[in-house]
Amino acid sequence: METPKQSSVAHPTFAVVGHPNKGKSSIVSALALDDSVHISNTSGTTTKKRSFPLSVDGRVLYELFDTPGFQRARRVLAWLEKHDVPADKRHEIVQRFINEHQEDTRFNDEIELLTPIMEGAGIIYVVDASKPYGEEYEAEMEILRWTGQPSMALINHIDDNDYSQEWKRALGQYFKMVRTFNPMQTSLAQHMSILESMAQLKEEWIAPVKASMKLFEQYQEQMLERSAALLTTLLYESLSMVERFPVKTEEVYAEDKEKVEEKYKEKLRTMEVNVQEQIEKIWNHEHLQKTQEMLTLDEMDLFSKETASVFGLTRKELIITGATSGAAAGAGIDLLFAGHTLLLGGLIGGVVGGTGAYFGFNELSEVKVLGQTMGKRYLEIGPMENRNFPYILLGRALYHTVQVASISHAAREVFDMKMDQTFKAQWLSDTLRKNLETYHKKFRSGKSVEPKDLKAYEALIHQTLKALLEGE
Amino acid sequence: MNLKSYIDLVALLEIDPSTREENRTFALTHPLLKNKPLEQIGAWIALHYDRLKRPLLSETFSSYLYATTFTLVVISFILGLFTGFGLLSYNGSEPVNVIYFMVMVIVFPLVTMLLTVISMFRAQGTHNVLVHISPAFWMEKILTLFPGRVEDNIRAFKLNPLLTNWLIIQRAQVLSLFFSLGLLLALLAMVVTKDIAFAWSTTLHISPEEFHLFLKNIAFPWSEFSPSAVPSMTLIEKSHYFRLGEGTSMLDPEQLGEWWKFLAFATLFYAILLRLLMLFIASFGFKRALKQSVLILEGSRKLLREMNEPLISTHERAAENAWDLHTQGYRQTVNTLDASYDAVQGWAISQDDILVLSDTLGVIAPKHLKVGGSNSLEEDDEVISGSEGEILLLAKSWEHPSNEFLDYLLDLSKKVDKIVIMPLGTGADLYAVKSEDLDEWAKKLSSIENEKVWLKRSHVESSKGEEENGNA
Repeated sequence: METPKQSSVAHPTFAVVGHPNKGKSSIVSALALDDSVHISNTSGTTTKKRSFPLSVDGRVLYELFDTPGFQRARRVLAWLEKHDVPADKRHEIVQRFINEHQEDTRFNDEIELLTPIMEGAGIIYVVDASKPYGEEYEAEMEILRWTGQPSMALINHIDDNDYSQEWKRALGQYFKMVRTFNPMQTSLAQHMSILESMAQLKEEWIAPVKASMKLFEQYQEQMLERSAALLTTLLYESLSMVERFPVKTEEVYAEDKEKVEEKYKEKLRTMEVNVQEQIEKIWNHEHLQKTQEMLTLDEMDLFSKETASVFGLTRKELIITGATSGAAAGAGIDLLFAGHTLLLGGLIGGVVGGTGAYFGFNELSEVKVLGQTMGKRYLEIGPMENRNFPYILLGRALYHTVQVASISHAAREVFDMKMDQTFKAQWLSDTLRKNLETYHKKFRSGKSVEPKDLKAYEALIHQTLKALLEGE
Repeated sequence: MNLKSYIDLVALLEIDPSTREENRTFALTHPLLKNKPLEQIGAWIALHYDRLKRPLLSETFSSYLYATTFTLVVISFILGLFTGFGLLSYNGSEPVNVIYFMVMVIVFPLVTMLLTVISMFRAQGTHNVLVHISPAFWMEKILTLFPGRVEDNIRAFKLNPLLTNWLIIQRAQVLSLFFSLGLLLALLAMVVTKDIAFAWSTTLHISPEEFHLFLKNIAFPWSEFSPSAVPSMTLIEKSHYFRLGEGTSMLDPEQLGEWWKFLAFATLFYAILLRLLMLFIASFGFKRALKQSVLILEGSRKLLREMNEPLISTHERAAENAWDLHTQGYRQTVNTLDASYDAVQGWAISQDDILVLSDTLGVIAPKHLKVGGSNSLEEDDEVISGSEGEILLLAKSWEHPSNEFLDYLLDLSKKVDKIVIMPLGTGADLYAVKSEDLDEWAKKLSSIENEKVWLKRSHVESSKGEEENGNA
């Protein structure tokens, strides 16, 4: 007979087991970064074990099993205890229980949860320490002891009460390791700490689980990089977008221009929504439910104090940004003439840039009538002229990404994505604003952008996202 | 990578033919292409080539491009030929003024090449005026006005401005080259078939010495290996033509024909060789633009990322087979307890606690018995066999009923007339029950549908509380 010590798979496996409705699925969801796990208040909703492998290029490093909770623990234990065997043979009795009750529907749940353990999985026993300890748990812990597999207990707090001391005293008698884990918190440090404990369960598991920890860090970095790339594309495409619509009538009416503008705005809104969906996919939050205000572009008074302070730059910040980027261009001229312009280039550039920012913000972009002489007329809108728009869009995109990255995969409530007044101060420094403006200018210039510029912009976004997430 | 593969790439990215996993697998199976993004993309296109819709847009586009270019080349060549014949037409009375021909084969090419260089530097822009005034641009525009020339899918396909600009620049060089070849052919044909008397004439006060120096400079590139193609001072002096003077009568007509060598070499060098050089630079620029266009395509950036990043997966792709109980609520509820019961039982509650709870609830009963928890199944069976009449069964509200509890209920219901189940909260909450916990109890009890089992709905924390409409 196969013993549980001789695992049938090459990688470490862990079975998350416990009493029904104590947060097993929440813990699996948080550890596997998977928001598709069914989490319900109703006990017994998980009826089959489910595997969550951590794999890199198809090579599994470890595997996590979500299992149904114990439903008839005393009955199983009673069956086991009928067999008077020494401790080293107890796991065989558990295996025999599984073999003999495969067709017995009463023990479906127990068989589902015991099978991966008997195939070599380490045990992660989950309890809810926001409720008092009860003697009914002892049968479960005793069955797990019979399996002879390495085990640890994980204390979860479903609500605010704390009975962890009494739980620790009881759990300490059955498990060599007792740890606390809050699946609603998404700190990488907490995740790493649990993996570290899991690695300690068995000597052979230390190396693969440590490798998994490194991989998790790499995965986090990958998600950040992919998010930064997406936000870069969003900013580049929305600022450089040029839309053309044919005009069929003899004259071009104001309504035509309005229609064109509306289509342009709609396209921008769709771009934002699409990117948000992709960001949620990157962070494995495809089932996220959220409430959020749409990107407001109608009657867009970007310089109302309220709008600007929440989303974009204030009038003063805009003028400074415009002036700084203008001055930078002017300084280039000074440099070219080895300062013989008495730095006038910088001064003029600053004034021109600042004035441009002051006057160039009321509209998103001018609607132009083109092709008059050729007989085929069309209206053209874009690239984006509004200087504040990129900061509004980027601010919203960063806020959304940070929120999505910070939400636990175990959370199932509806999230309110309303950005508050303090967010802008968290990410937009003067230096960053200046750096971003250089690229915003290129994006809206109507010229093709060099891949190195996109890379540089991506690096700025990546850096900002990282700083925001580390500050969370 | 050429234009055709670029168009194939755009079309393939639109249909998104492969999953992330497939893209990563592709990169892992082609290790030699690592860090060679264009080669990687090229090989990826080749792999998915068959998935492209027929007829291929790239082929349609290429053949359209080829046909248009060929037509324009023929037109340019004929134009060059006729221009040459026009410039060299000799009526026998007046000699052919070489200055006209020199303007066409030296000045015109040099000016257009200068404009080409400027437009190359400005090729990044969407509205490049120099590109738009190019014959290659507007000649094609005129061609598109002819009905049935351009297919709809080509009209709908938009190349990015950078590529379009370089394409026009490159094509302009080809057209100019063929125009110049036309000129050269016209010159040679005229020289062979006619006896042309060349002369030079200008209103400007240029002395033969100055003109000789000027021509010597122009003929510098070929003066070493073909000295006869450099006009001599004597030839210049003797071929100076004055409309109102003595004309060219002083010159031997045989000598006047000597100019053709100079004109042929000037055409060959300035209009053909330099144009070939420009064509080479334009082709290089086009290739570079193609590379840049491929790398800034959002789809290809994503594709490269998917191919080159390790594929880390933490979750199972299969959908979970979980269920939730949906009931209308449990209909058999009581709002108030009777003053006495035949027994008070506590599920996983100690004997002492049962006594305290009975007292607190003001319930009188002859028997207070513990069931479940640490009891053995035999002990529970004993309790059941001794049970009769009406039973008040206390339970922990947060431990939702397990199947073991339901088994017990069903067994007990066979022996007694009525079972009132009273879930209780923790002592810290003064035994108040959370409404969601009570809902879970109701759901579970609905699943057994036993007319003897009743649920006490009271002690609820939320506003639902005692407002429940019981039918007891």
